Amino acid sequence: MAVAAAIACRLLRLHAAGAGGHWRRLRGAGLPRGFLQPASAGEDAAQWRRVAHFTFQPDPEPLEYGQTQKMNLFQAVTSALDNSLAKDPTAVIFGEDVAFGGVFRCTVGLRDKYGKDRVFNTPLCEQGIVGFGIGIAVTGATAIAEIQFADYIFPAFDQIVNEAAKYRYRSGDLFNCGSLTIRAPWGCVGHGAVYHSQSPEAFFAHCPGIKVVVPRSPFQAKGLLLSCIEDKNPCIFFEPKILYRAAVEQVPVEPYNIPLSQAEVIQEGSDVTLVAWGTQVHVIREVASMAQEKLGVSCEVIDLRTIIPWDVDTVCKEECFLNLEAPISRVCGYDTPFPHVFEPFYIPDKWKCYDALRKMINY
Amino acid sequence: MAVVTAAARVLGSSRGLGQDGLLLLRRLGVRGLAISHPQRQQQHFSSLDDKPQFPGASAEFIDKLEFIQPNVISGIPIYRVMDRQGQIINPSEDPNLPQEKVLKFYKSMTLLNTMDRILYESQRQGRISFYMTNYGEEGTHVGSAAALDNTDLVFGQYREAGVLMYRDYPLELFMAQCYGNVSDLGKGRQMPVHYGCKERHFVTISSPLATQIPQGEDALPGPAVGAAYAAKRANANRVVICYFGEGAASEGDAHAGFNFAATLECPIIFFCRNNGYAISTPTSEQYRGDGIAARGPGYGIMSIRVDGNDVFAVYNATKEARRRAVAENQPFLIEAMTYRIGHHSTSDDSSAYRSVDEVNYWDKQDHPISRLRHYLQSRGWWDDEQEKDWRKQSRKKVMEAFEQAERKPKPNFSLLFSDVYQEMPAQLRKQQESLARHLQTYGEHYPLDHFEK
Repeated sequence: MAVAAAIACRLLRLHAAGAGGHWRRLRGAGLPRGFLQPASAGEDAAQWRRVAHFTFQPDPEPLEYGQTQKMNLFQAVTSALDNSLAKDPTAVIFGEDVAFGGVFRCTVGLRDKYGKDRVFNTPLCEQGIVGFGIGIAVTGATAIAEIQFADYIFPAFDQIVNEAAKYRYRSGDLFNCGSLTIRAPWGCVGHGAVYHSQSPEAFFAHCPGIKVVVPRSPFQAKGLLLSCIEDKNPCIFFEPKILYRAAVEQVPVEPYNIPLSQAEVIQEGSDVTLVAWGTQVHVIREVASMAQEKLGVSCEVIDLRTIIPWDVDTVCKEECFLNLEAPISRVCGYDTPFPHVFEPFYIPDKWKCYDALRKMINY
Repeated sequence: MAVVTAAARVLGSSRGLGQDGLLLLRRLGVRGLAISHPQRQQQHFSSLDDKPQFPGASAEFIDKLEFIQPNVISGIPIYRVMDRQGQIINPSEDPNLPQEKVLKFYKSMTLLNTMDRILYESQRQGRISFYMTNYGEEGTHVGSAAALDNTDLVFGQYREAGVLMYRDYPLELFMAQCYGNVSDLGKGRQMPVHYGCKERHFVTISSPLATQIPQGEDALPGPAVGAAYAAKRANANRVVICYFGEGAASEGDAHAGFNFAATLECPIIFFCRNNGYAISTPTSEQYRGDGIAARGPGYGIMSIRVDGNDVFAVYNATKEARRRAVAENQPFLIEAMTYRIGHHSTSDDSSAYRSVDEVNYWDKQDHPISRLRHYLQSRGWWDDEQEKDWRKQSRKKVMEAFEQAERKPKPNFSLLFSDVYQEMPAQLRKQQESLARHLQTYGEHYPLDHFEK
């Protein structure tokens, strides 16, 4: 499993092979060029495990924020954290294993740069991490808490829902924990199985008082994370772990903000609206191309970005119900825990999304 | 750092590096790895040395199989200054506080007691929805509050009104919160007794038990610990005190709070009011160890058990804990033994699970107010005449505040919608407008007369 992970990282930079056949062209994987032959059953089995279900599409280089640098998603996160600790002397980062750089390298170099009282490990206890973070925020200091995997956020659910979300409201605005941000790696990664693949944003989506944000790319991640950290309400920032290395683009070195609660229309269209967040945005982008090419259908692609409070106006008008020509279709994982070997069948890949779109057009 | 990540992958540990990883990296000599335990010395690896080398404990070997027996028959002793008749036992432990200060102790405790009686009755009469009394525990509140600085941050559970009383929180505001009227700083959002006061550094009470502990109500200790950490970083010379009952100490959040406070070296006082009951659950069903104080050493926390009904013992312990917590940046645990004389709340009738005789014993033979009164009288600082006057005066003050609070309207209904976020989201504003429209048509079915226009 560990070895497969290493190779998967390199392969994710390749475009997914086209439809059909088990012929694979392997580039940059240490094999001789032009190595093209019918894959044996064993190789084939190994290969389907490594190829991603999406292609990351970088956005064009942003020009309005000054000098940019090539960064992947975890480096963009590190950059945001670095910017935050530099300009806010009260800001601290804590969680399991953040001191040495974090299991996903998001905090590499920060302890050396800012000191052990600002970047530190906590005991292995998510309810403690979030509770502790709330307390720091109550005094007005900036608390950036890391939960090692979104799958482990549940012990902190009470602190998030019953405490953080309600702190300002229940005290009549005497107290608040607005300077708390919780970050967690999120979503499927190909081999994460039950406890390293979850996307738990739905559990928080109906909890007034918190904000939940999911970026689709390094540029989006840095700007949205900075907005979460500076936002005066407790925020949860879910980072698509499959994009930590796979997503690379030009990201401004200086701090910048992308507003919360604003969805982004990535592509305008007139026939069908596709809405997603995080990794899935890249899946539906591809579905939009497929729809245009094969069905002549024009799709509007929307990245929701903030799950709560969400941008209702961009996604739909309250009256849109009467204007829909087909029922809304939701394409998601199945109502099962996230499986291990069955992941390719479980995820809402571009074929399932495309099929749903096709049925919708023909409704 | 690439080495670190590679090691993590090779070892396949799904939650960061396991012990294998750490050992591997120690051998590789990766910089910055052995810094996680500043208090532990790097051990020398010598094959001739038979001493234990484990990173996890500093201890000698033993070749005899022996389990440690928890000592619950003869537990941690209970520190006290006065006997049950209010006489100082050991004069060197008498804090020798000035008359004015001790009178403030007495008046705070008795005013609280009077307010409790009146507000309990008011619930019985249907005037407020709920109430919790503090009978028997006044000593724990006032003794500890008096030992703190006014700016020390307080995280309470729900039975610490005496702390606010000692900090001169006006009766008007106690009542306002219980009635949820326009003067309530909490804007009518919570049940009675969920007080909060920013200028008196008393964080608003919340219901979920023990949540205040990590934070610094049932709130657990976590937030209190976080607040203490921030105070330490800010060089504020402040301590955070976190109150909780022996029941709340069973919550996972208590464990989290203790452990974080110790490992992160936070200036915090954990103050446990062990009053014998968590609603109907007696301590024999809450824990099997030697109470809460015995848990402290397990976390590496300085701990003490005190007689909670002895206001001077509580004062002395809290004062010393505060001094050292701030000076040494470490947590302290004080377990104040006391007894909950009243019912858990107005929703409880404790005769269902305990005898009236038991309650009467504490009310008559070991009450913090009586013991302090005897002390005051023996010093010549109080007499029956003053007692009579003060009772009349305090009752009058409480009744006045009570009647005024009752007459005031509740806040305008639009305050239902504010403070969810710092800014009101568009959807919520739409909901607020929709309620306003709804009330224009259906207003007669709502108690609008009791709410400010």
